[in-house]
Amino acid sequence: MNYAMALDYQNCINCKACEVACKEENGVQLGADKQRIWVGVVEGTIFGKPFANLYPSQCNHCIDAPCVSVCPTNASHFAEGGIVKVDPHKCILCKGCMEACPYDARFVDDTMVAVDKCTFCDHRSLEAGGTTACQATCPTKVRLFGDLDDENSDLVKLLKTKRFFFQKEYTNTLPKLFYILPDDEAYAKQSVSHDTIIHTWDDIKPLYEEAKNRRSKEWKK
Amino acid sequence: MKVEISRRRFLQGSVALSVVGGTALSGTSIMAKSEEKTENLLVKKVPTICEMCVNKCAAVAYVKNGIVTKLEPNPYFPKSRNMLCARGVAGIHALYDPDRLKYPLIRAGERGDGKYRRVTWDEAYTYIQEKLVKILDEEEDNRSCIGYCAGEGLAEHTFKTFMADKFGSSNFLNHSTICLQTAVSGYTLTIGGYGLADMENAKYVIMAGANRAEAILTPDTMDMFKRTRGRGMKLVVVDPRYTNTAMHADTYLPIRPGTDLAFVLALTYVAISTKIYNRTYVAKNFVDFDKYEKHILEGGYTPEWAEKITGIKAEEIRKVAHDFMAHAPQSVYYQGRRTTWSSNDFQLRRAMALFTALGGGIDVKGGIVFGKKLPLGDHAVNAPMYANAQPRIDKNVAAVVGATGSWVGWRNMVAEGKTPYPIRGMFVYKQNPMLSVPNSTKTRQMFEKMDLVVVIDTMPSDTAMLADVILPECTYLEREDPVQSFAGVEPAIILREKAIEPMYETKPVNDIMRELAQKLTKPLWEITKKHDEDVQEAIEEDDEQTVFEDGGFDLAEPFMHSQEETNHHMFVSKYGEEAWKILREKGVFYPNMLSYFKKIDNNTYEYYPKDKRFYSVLKLEEEYDSEAFLHDLCVNPGDIAELKRSFNTPNKKVECYLASMVARKVDPMPAWRDEDYVKVPEGKFKFVTGRHAQFTQSSTVNNIMLLELMHENYLWINDKEAEKLGIEFGDTIEVTSRVGQVRIKAYPTPKIVPQTVFYIHGFGSKSEGMTFAHRNGASDNEIIEDTIEPVHGCANMHDTLVTLRRV
Repeated sequence: MNYAMALDYQNCINCKACEVACKEENGVQLGADKQRIWVGVVEGTIFGKPFANLYPSQCNHCIDAPCVSVCPTNASHFAEGGIVKVDPHKCILCKGCMEACPYDARFVDDTMVAVDKCTFCDHRSLEAGGTTACQATCPTKVRLFGDLDDENSDLVKLLKTKRFFFQKEYTNTLPKLFYILPDDEAYAKQSVSHDTIIHTWDDIKPLYEEAKNRRSKEWKK
Repeated sequence: MKVEISRRRFLQGSVALSVVGGTALSGTSIMAKSEEKTENLLVKKVPTICEMCVNKCAAVAYVKNGIVTKLEPNPYFPKSRNMLCARGVAGIHALYDPDRLKYPLIRAGERGDGKYRRVTWDEAYTYIQEKLVKILDEEEDNRSCIGYCAGEGLAEHTFKTFMADKFGSSNFLNHSTICLQTAVSGYTLTIGGYGLADMENAKYVIMAGANRAEAILTPDTMDMFKRTRGRGMKLVVVDPRYTNTAMHADTYLPIRPGTDLAFVLALTYVAISTKIYNRTYVAKNFVDFDKYEKHILEGGYTPEWAEKITGIKAEEIRKVAHDFMAHAPQSVYYQGRRTTWSSNDFQLRRAMALFTALGGGIDVKGGIVFGKKLPLGDHAVNAPMYANAQPRIDKNVAAVVGATGSWVGWRNMVAEGKTPYPIRGMFVYKQNPMLSVPNSTKTRQMFEKMDLVVVIDTMPSDTAMLADVILPECTYLEREDPVQSFAGVEPAIILREKAIEPMYETKPVNDIMRELAQKLTKPLWEITKKHDEDVQEAIEEDDEQTVFEDGGFDLAEPFMHSQEETNHHMFVSKYGEEAWKILREKGVFYPNMLSYFKKIDNNTYEYYPKDKRFYSVLKLEEEYDSEAFLHDLCVNPGDIAELKRSFNTPNKKVECYLASMVARKVDPMPAWRDEDYVKVPEGKFKFVTGRHAQFTQSSTVNNIMLLELMHENYLWINDKEAEKLGIEFGDTIEVTSRVGQVRIKAYPTPKIVPQTVFYIHGFGSKSEGMTFAHRNGASDNEIIEDTIEPVHGCANMHDTLVTLRRV
């Protein structure tokens, strides 16, 4: 098992259903300055005309997660299928993980007195036919949660047919949010920068499999 | 404690159990399948229908120990496509809002100062009864002296049955004339129905003013945004604002507010003058096309003419017209919902409908479709006749005032004391006219003139704070509501079941109507006997009891059955008991659902097989067997479009010329009139309003989960103009119109055209009962002027000029 998520971010309308569903599902603290899940907005003007791109996001559950490496108490750890989680009982709020995370995906939940983050809803998504709260509720079905190890999963089937990219790939953490690039070349160009690396399943599969074999001994069963 | 298990699990062959007290856990874990989590067994899953907005999405309420812990999408309903938006998921906080109306209240201070005392239901009903008896006696049983209004919802009809059919008032108001009446009417009179845009198959869509990314409409929102950006649907967004919908457009055309009609007329000019419209379709299906052709060509509605008015370049207009027709019949000029922007709105909607029809995209896959509606049984009401009940007061404020009146026209007559007979009171159900009707000052004046204002609602809204009596309704999660059928390409019937018992002393409106009716029946019968000569005559001929019973004067009669019993009756008479079980288990029903419904993956479901959907439903020329022809997957939508069909209009054709309107002094064909257009003088701005995806009008503004997403509204102003005026982000701006003044923070942005300012509707509650919503941002209706358009008396939402001052 190697859990990951594909995001058809072109579908996003920034309605924030995912954010609310996440909070309701996981009891995320209200009023905190950050959330487990968010929609990144990039907007501006080109020759006086407005433009905007949306990048729905959350924890990337990196295979080489720096947040896990820096944690002095093993509160940050890999759970089943490589899902990165925090054990609030072990967290001493040193916030090293928050510094280490390239995606700013962690925040302090005052109600738990611990760092909190996305869990890929592993209490519900790992059941047969299960999925995350954000995917289930999404009006335009941006997300697809699944298992990279399962060649027959809907996730892998999708990744085999599409090109995709990762956010901040240069940090070399092997993130697991796969952003599906539009098939349409014009729209593809509009939402990625010139140095974004475009991947296919064939080039990424060996890399991720190797990394998984290297790190999965740390994953809890 | 009684533990219930879900019906689904029961049907799976498990054992029904009723466990007492703390033994629940051990009991259930023994019977549970080994991999089933123990806590899940205590969760009851109740199908419900969301009421956070008007879409009626199917949801499942997870109920644990009598507490709703989560709302999830219910995948079975084709219209809601297995989703629940931010508001839908946040519905729990409507249920557990600490500010909810919990008990019946009677006003203890002056109107509007928010002082109320808690009373029993009987005290509240008695208060209403005493006031009504006095008023109706003084008004000699003119039932129409009590007005009533209702917000949209599954139970709206229950309230209306009481007020209209039983109580007998003609003065009904609902959202229509502050919402979509001109669009519904414009499309219906032209093509025979408002229809649904088939966004799953349309190849070219012009979306003008409508904002489906932020004003979510099911299934349009879900269907279209999977197909934009080079994925099958070309999208042209025409809007003064660069919205989240515009973000998905292939072409975004910023337009001056109030000039859409000029844009459509120019598109029509291009289509007709270059003969690129579907000529076969028009020849077979239009009536009076020659008149329209002449009118458009001789009217001089050229793209160059429109460029000066709209600000959209002539070549853009030409291109859109050509592209639209090239993709027709799978091309749609999208109808839009919350409409009536300016006084030419009815004509605008007519012109839009005609333009879509010129391409042949009506009643065809990928165009505007009508779909099919599954029938439900009848629930007959014996409505009494009151000889002294007068017709509605506002019937002359516009050319055609329908049964839902003209909110602004009606309100102004009462506020200004210009009614033909006194309006002494008002019953308000689930509506908040203080925030939803333009010119709040006049709405307040109207309520202040009344002797009895009764508000039935879940929240202490600004309107509730003007009531004499407040009756607390339970929320949608605490009641069963009337079963409803939804027309569409994939029609279905849905049922809102009760997730938990009503909290506090709240009640569903069916119970409130029954109890109030029981209280009122006898005393009001005495008033009728005293003043109603027809009834007096009838009693002389017959005995009193017979007149009372046969005449339907027992006001409580339609509400005596529980909602569940009524639903059972209405549904089972058409579909039988087996289907009823399916409906109650799944919350959704349509014929063959269990065999048609397929899960393809976690994101995709199929509701009807492709050849069983209702894209084309109108009667075709006799040479075609409609049933076989329309469901043949090999037939090109273009071929279907060209057939002669029978539209639901007076001439059975697409109507270009409305002769019936001439006598009413309404243009029979869409025409641009300079004098109707509100020009923006130097130094002023035109105010536009709108929606976004996190709040529904003013009804969800106290929801803490949604306030997390957006705490207040901001004034959008073009960034270049803001710079000239020295306005920066977050500055407090005083916005002044002829009718009001508000203060709101500024948001300078390139996403709005010059000479235009915008803020989102619904904010700016002043009720101190709304702890979290109190004075967040500003209310648009405090500054929107109360002018109405001439055809249906709808409020002109975008004709207000304002000045700005940095504070």
